[in-house]
Amino acid sequence: MNDVKDFRTVRITFSKKGRARFISHLDLNRTMTRAVRRANLPIWYTEGFNRHPYLTFAAPLSLGYEGEQETMDLRLEQDMEMSELVTRLDAVMPEGLHIKHAAWAVCKAGDVDRAVYRLQLNGCQPEAVTELFAQSQVLEEKRNKKKEWKTIDIKPVLDTANAQITPTETGTQLELTLPCNSTDTVNPALVTEALRQLPNMAEFSVSVCRLAVLDKNGNRFA
Amino acid sequence: MALMLEELFEKVQKPARYTGGELNSITKDKEKVSVRFAFCFPDLYEVGMSHLGMKILYGATNAVEDFWCERVFAPDTDMETLLRENNLPLFALESRDPLRCFDFIGFTLQYEMCYTTILNMLDLAGLPLHAAERGDDMPLVIAGGPCASNPEPLADFFDIFILGEGEEVNLELMSLYREHKKKGYNKAAFLREAAQIEGIYVPSLYEVTYNEDGTLAAVTPKEDAPATIRKRIIRDLDTAYYPDSFVVPFIDIVHDRAMSEIFRGCIRGCRFCQAGFLYRPVREKSVDTIDRQSRCLCETSGYEEFSLSSLSTSDYTHLEELLTRLLSWAEDKHTNISLPSLRVDGFSEELANRLNVLRRSGLTFAPEAGTQRLRDAINKNLSETEILDTARKAFAGGWTSVKLYFMMGLPTETPDDVVGIAELGQKIVNCYYHNPDKPKGKAVSVSVSVSCFVPKPFTPFQWEPQDSIEQLREKQKLLRDSVTTRKISLSWHDAETSYLEAVLARGDRRLGAVLESAFRHGFNLDAWSEHFDFEKWIEVFKEVGLDPDFYACRRREKDEILPWEHIDIGVTKEFLWAENQKAHQSVTTPNCRQECSHCGASCFKGGVCRERR
Repeated sequence: MNDVKDFRTVRITFSKKGRARFISHLDLNRTMTRAVRRANLPIWYTEGFNRHPYLTFAAPLSLGYEGEQETMDLRLEQDMEMSELVTRLDAVMPEGLHIKHAAWAVCKAGDVDRAVYRLQLNGCQPEAVTELFAQSQVLEEKRNKKKEWKTIDIKPVLDTANAQITPTETGTQLELTLPCNSTDTVNPALVTEALRQLPNMAEFSVSVCRLAVLDKNGNRFA
Repeated sequence: MALMLEELFEKVQKPARYTGGELNSITKDKEKVSVRFAFCFPDLYEVGMSHLGMKILYGATNAVEDFWCERVFAPDTDMETLLRENNLPLFALESRDPLRCFDFIGFTLQYEMCYTTILNMLDLAGLPLHAAERGDDMPLVIAGGPCASNPEPLADFFDIFILGEGEEVNLELMSLYREHKKKGYNKAAFLREAAQIEGIYVPSLYEVTYNEDGTLAAVTPKEDAPATIRKRIIRDLDTAYYPDSFVVPFIDIVHDRAMSEIFRGCIRGCRFCQAGFLYRPVREKSVDTIDRQSRCLCETSGYEEFSLSSLSTSDYTHLEELLTRLLSWAEDKHTNISLPSLRVDGFSEELANRLNVLRRSGLTFAPEAGTQRLRDAINKNLSETEILDTARKAFAGGWTSVKLYFMMGLPTETPDDVVGIAELGQKIVNCYYHNPDKPKGKAVSVSVSVSCFVPKPFTPFQWEPQDSIEQLREKQKLLRDSVTTRKISLSWHDAETSYLEAVLARGDRRLGAVLESAFRHGFNLDAWSEHFDFEKWIEVFKEVGLDPDFYACRRREKDEILPWEHIDIGVTKEFLWAENQKAHQSVTTPNCRQECSHCGASCFKGGVCRERR
C-alpha cells in the first residue's frame, strides 16, 4: 500500500434521496464502485488478488436516511478536470444518487466532528419537542462499540444541538446538530426514541435528512 | 392506522429488495403502454435477480415500445406480514402498482418447491387462485420455464403455459392480446385463439380422464386446440435478442455479475438430466457475438465480473479462442471472468492461470456415480482416470482440496455403487499421498456431496421409481460406514425434499388440490429449509386423499399415458425409452457431436443437428 500516497484523494459530494435512501452503507460502496467503473474514470485500484477501486466514506449514513451533502473519497491515477469528473459520474448514477461536486480533499477523514440533521416529525406537535428539550435529564439506551447496551443521558447533547423547532402542516420540523466522531456519535433516532417516551405521546412518523457533515470548527467537511 | 408502502420499507430487512429504482430498471409512461406484463419470480429477490432468463425476457419485452415488463419477487416473511396487516396488495417494483392492474402476470417455474410460493403470491395480489374464477377484468396468469414441461400440477391455477424458450412466443402472445384488447377483450375467445400459437398450452382446453388405478386414461383437446403442443426454440442465437444492459441490484444477490450465454442445450445426454433433453438441440453463439455482448454488458452495468453461462462450458467448440479474446480487454479493465460448469482437464496451464480457474472455484468434479458401471448407465462420460489425472496435476501445483458431487438412488444402483463413492474419494486421498511434491505438513481434504436422485419428465428415467426415503437413508448409512478416513467429509441433501420434488415433477392435475391445501395451511417458500415441513406435507396428502408414493416411487409401464404426454419437446418418447433400456444394460450413447442418435430434436432444424460432423 506504499504507493497509495502517490495519488491525490478526490472528495466527491453527492446527495442520496428518494428510493436511494434505502441503499445501506455496504451496498452504497458496491453501487459507487460500479458507477465509477461505468464512468470509466482513471481511478486507482487496490493491489492484490481481488483488485477493486479504492473508495472510502468518512461518515456512513444510516439506512433509511436521506443525505444532502454526503462525501466519498477516491484516488485518481491521472489528473482530470473536476468538472468533467462530476459530469461523467453523475451521468451513470442510479435514481436518487446525484453527484454535486468534486475537489481535491482538504480535511482528513478523522476530521469529521458533527452533523446537521433535519427531522420531519409527522404527527408530533412542536410543544412535545419543546417539552423534551426542557427536561433536566433525557435517559436513553444506546449500544456501544462492544455491542453492550448502556444507559446514557443525552441532555448535554440536546443542549448543544442548536435545535430549531418549526411547526409544519403535518407536525414539526426539527433541525439539530449531533456529534459524529470517533469518541462520540449520537444518531437522531435516539432523539426520536426519547420523544416517543414522553407521557401521552401519540404515534408519529419520522423522516430524516442529513444536511451537512462538519469539522471541529463548524466548517463543512471538504 | 394503515401504513403506506414507503413506511413498510423502513420496517423490513433489506428494504432495497422492494424499493425498485435500480440502475437500468425500466419505467414507462402508462398512458403510452398498451400491454403490461408483471414478471414474477416465485422466490426472494436475491434468487430471482440472479436468473438470466428473467433478464432476457425483461429486456426483450421492454424493447417493444408499447409493452412494459416489470419485476415482482416473493416478499420475505417480514414484508408479507406487513403487507397483510396493512391490507396492501403485492406490487411490481418499477411502478409499485398492484398486480391486479396488469394484463399479464407471468411466473417462471424453475423448481417444483416454489409452487406454494406462487399460490401465496397470487393470494397476496388479491386474485382468485383458480384460473376459472378469474374473469375478463382480471390479469391472465401465465407461466414458463423448465417445470412448464410438466405443468399439470399447476393446471388449475394458470390460464396459459409457455413451452420452451420465451423470447419470441411471449411477444406473439402479447401482440395477440393487444389486438383483442382493441376490438373488445373476452378471455375465453382470447385463450381459444392463443392456443393456436405454437408453444402455447391452454390447460383449460384439455380434458384429462383417469383409469381406476389412478393412471391417465386420456387427454382430450377441446375447441380446436392442438392434440400436442410443441415447445418453441430460438433457432439462431447470434441474431436473437440479448439484453445490452442488466438491472444492477443494490443489495448483494446470489449471482451478482454480468452473464453471457454462450450456448443453449447440451450435447452430453446424461440420462438423469432434464435440462440436457429439454433444451435440445445444442445451439452456440459465435465468438464475435459473445465478445460483443459481454463487453457491452460490463460497460453498461459496471460489473467487475462476468460469467459464461451454459450447461457445460467445456463443450463450447471455440473455448480457448473465446477466452483469449475476452481476456484481451477484461484484464485491462480489472474485470474477472468466471467459468461455471467447467471441466478443468484439457486446459492449457497458461490460460488456467490467467483465469485463476482453480483459485476461484477450487477443484470440482461431478462424477455423479461411484462406479464406472453406473456412470455408464447414466451416460456420464467422466472416467476415473480423468479424475485422478486432473487431481494429481492439481496436487502437484500445491492444491490440497477437492470437491466431488454425486447422486444417490440412481436407477440400477447397487450397494457396490454406493461403496464406490467412498472408494473414489479414497483413491483421491491416496493419490495425494503418493505425490512426491505434496506440500509439507498439509493434509488433503476431499469433500463429497451427495444429493438424492429425482426422476424427471422428458428424461430416459421418467418411468423409473424413486428410492423410498428409507432406502435412501440406508444408502446414506452404508456410505457413512464405508468412509474410513477423516480426510473425506460427507454431506447430503435431505431425502424428504427430494421426495416431494419427485411427486410434483411427475404429478398430474389432481395434485392441484394438494398444492391449494398446502397453501391454505400457510406453506410458502418451501425451497428454503427453514420453511419446509415434511410431516405437514404428508398430512396434506392424507387430507386430500392422494398417495404421494404413487407419483414418486412407482415404476411406470412403457405404454402408460404420462401426464405430460401431450407436450412435445422434440425428443421422442421412443428415443427416451431406448435410452432407458440402454441404461439397464449399462450401455453409453455418444454425444451429439460424435454421432447423431436421432433423438427427434432435429425437427427444429437448428444448431448441432445442422452442423457437419
